[in-house]
Amino acid sequence: MNIILEARNIRYRYPQSLEAIKGISFHIRRGEKIALVGPNGAGKSTLLQMFNGMIRPDSGTMLFDKEPIRYDTSSLRQLRKRVGYVLQNPDRQIIAPTVYQDVAFGPANLGYDEQAIQQAVALALRRVGLKGFERRPPHQLSGGEKKRVALAGVLAMDPDMLVFDEPTTGLDPSGSEDVMELLDELNHEGKTVIISTHDVELAYPWADRAILLLDGRILQEGVPDVAFGNPDYVRMAHLSVPTLLEVSQELGRRGFAQPERKPRSVLDMIHIIEHLLNRSCSTSRPGTISVCDVDRGWDTPLATWVSARQNLAVGAMGTSAKQRASQEHLTLDFTYGVIDKCILRALRGQDSLILTNSSMAGRVVTRVEAYCQESGTAISVIPLNTTNQSPK
Amino acid sequence: MLENLVDNIAQESAFRHINPATKLILCLGSLVICLVSPSPVVPLISGVVLSIVLIVPARVSPVLYGELLLGPAIFTIISVVVLVFLVGGGDVLWQFNPVPWVNLTITVGSLHEGLLVLCRVFGCSVSLFFIALTTPMTDLFDGMKRIGIPIEIIDLMMIIYRYIFIVYNQAVEIWHAQVMRLGYSRPMEAIRSSAMLCGMLFISSWNAGEDLIHAMDCRCYNGIIPSLEQAEPMQMRSLIPVLLYLAGLSGILLVVITRVVVLS
Repeated sequence: MNIILEARNIRYRYPQSLEAIKGISFHIRRGEKIALVGPNGAGKSTLLQMFNGMIRPDSGTMLFDKEPIRYDTSSLRQLRKRVGYVLQNPDRQIIAPTVYQDVAFGPANLGYDEQAIQQAVALALRRVGLKGFERRPPHQLSGGEKKRVALAGVLAMDPDMLVFDEPTTGLDPSGSEDVMELLDELNHEGKTVIISTHDVELAYPWADRAILLLDGRILQEGVPDVAFGNPDYVRMAHLSVPTLLEVSQELGRRGFAQPERKPRSVLDMIHIIEHLLNRSCSTSRPGTISVCDVDRGWDTPLATWVSARQNLAVGAMGTSAKQRASQEHLTLDFTYGVIDKCILRALRGQDSLILTNSSMAGRVVTRVEAYCQESGTAISVIPLNTTNQSPK
Repeated sequence: MLENLVDNIAQESAFRHINPATKLILCLGSLVICLVSPSPVVPLISGVVLSIVLIVPARVSPVLYGELLLGPAIFTIISVVVLVFLVGGGDVLWQFNPVPWVNLTITVGSLHEGLLVLCRVFGCSVSLFFIALTTPMTDLFDGMKRIGIPIEIIDLMMIIYRYIFIVYNQAVEIWHAQVMRLGYSRPMEAIRSSAMLCGMLFISSWNAGEDLIHAMDCRCYNGIIPSLEQAEPMQMRSLIPVLLYLAGLSGILLVVITRVVVLS
């Protein structure tokens, strides 16, 4: 078990105030997606700030990469390079007067040379889809763009772990989905991602594990359907049971047998319902899912290819794919939960196209194959320009 | 909203891509020429030409530009009226004695002096507006570093620039919240509300300052705020017209000075 962060019975009291963290122990594995969920004042932000040494616990130990965190200046610099922290309010995080300067802030202070700084900034801005924003002042950006700048500033330091305090506050639903998808993409590249949130509907399908915090203590910890599955705990933490889980529970109460694995997405739910009805609503001939890797060349212009096919839905996964779509003036039907939505279409006998990048192309195949195996359907994934990748 | 406005105009100016040093040469050059000119003709020409350049090729909205000029114009006209009555010299043109101990006189000399001041202010203001409306603040920081202004001062300027907009927006938000609850309906109420606004703004700025240190620490602050390299090198295409214009203006100045010397 490769543990990246561990807390051992930590306690913390703000000066002249109540105890905010009352003895918490947990661990986080490398490459996990963790959602820290709880009501206001539960100690989420306080706990998050301990991850990069901004707050030192009064007692107990925080371990990063199996070493206890040391609080001298040079150790903290090392730690903060590896643990990127994105504040809730991007206006409080963005320091410099232009986007370029702000994203370059971390690398410059880490002593990178000029060329390395430029490279890190260009890469980070491309990651978050803000290429071309270098000279813009932050006050001219929208809320979502500011969040992205704040994230790019952290990504430019290439941290192992990303800590994101309330990533979706102040964003519209599509902006929230974009940010969550970006976090997914970063996680897929091997970064451990920890977020704090109130939004159970968003955290439930996204997280590998959820930690429910209440009043400075851990109330419940586990995979999302366990963490959010206990109505008493959810009520105590001033949250709500995710709709999918509630539907599944309600079906269970009515005597319909529920599978071991609780539904995490609409696709899972449809699968359960079809199973209960003991008939498949899907057509006998499922549709296909074409995958286009935007990082590789392809002679045919996408728009021509798409317009040649009737009733085709287009989805994009990852920032570079979305940029490519907007360059080619393609209207995207799906930008979040793309694979699931395309499988749902395929089950109805409709075709779809997924634009994606090289690192995520394999994921489409893996996910579709896993679904086919589970449900006994055969949906074919057609790589348009990728060599037939074996599932990772 | 004015500071926001000026910065936005500069961001969207058609001259934004021109190297800021070129624009500074034009601005400072015409400023100096307007200041040393003994005749109102030179600053008047400079002001009119630069205004046309700002409105036509740089595409600054004429209405906005007029509004911006109105500020210095009101101030200058009041000052010039006072000046015309204060300064003397030459033949008396107009005299007014409302009461025996008040004597208001306008002379040829005072009129000339007033006209000169008016034109100088116009020429100099337009020179400064030229740089303000075509060059965003962010483009100037790199240049300041190059001419040797201490880095500590530039860093402070950058942070202040960044926070002007945040604090300003916060003030507007608080003000709106107060107006919505009739905070400025009566004079006493208005005084109390504005005091409250200042207090709130101070506290929130203080917190923002603490958060700023926090945010800098999070990102390994070690005394460096990176600068933004100037993307556009100085180009002959823009530098030559600037130098030609300044040479022309200096030529007119020279003619004017020789005429003044010959006349005297």
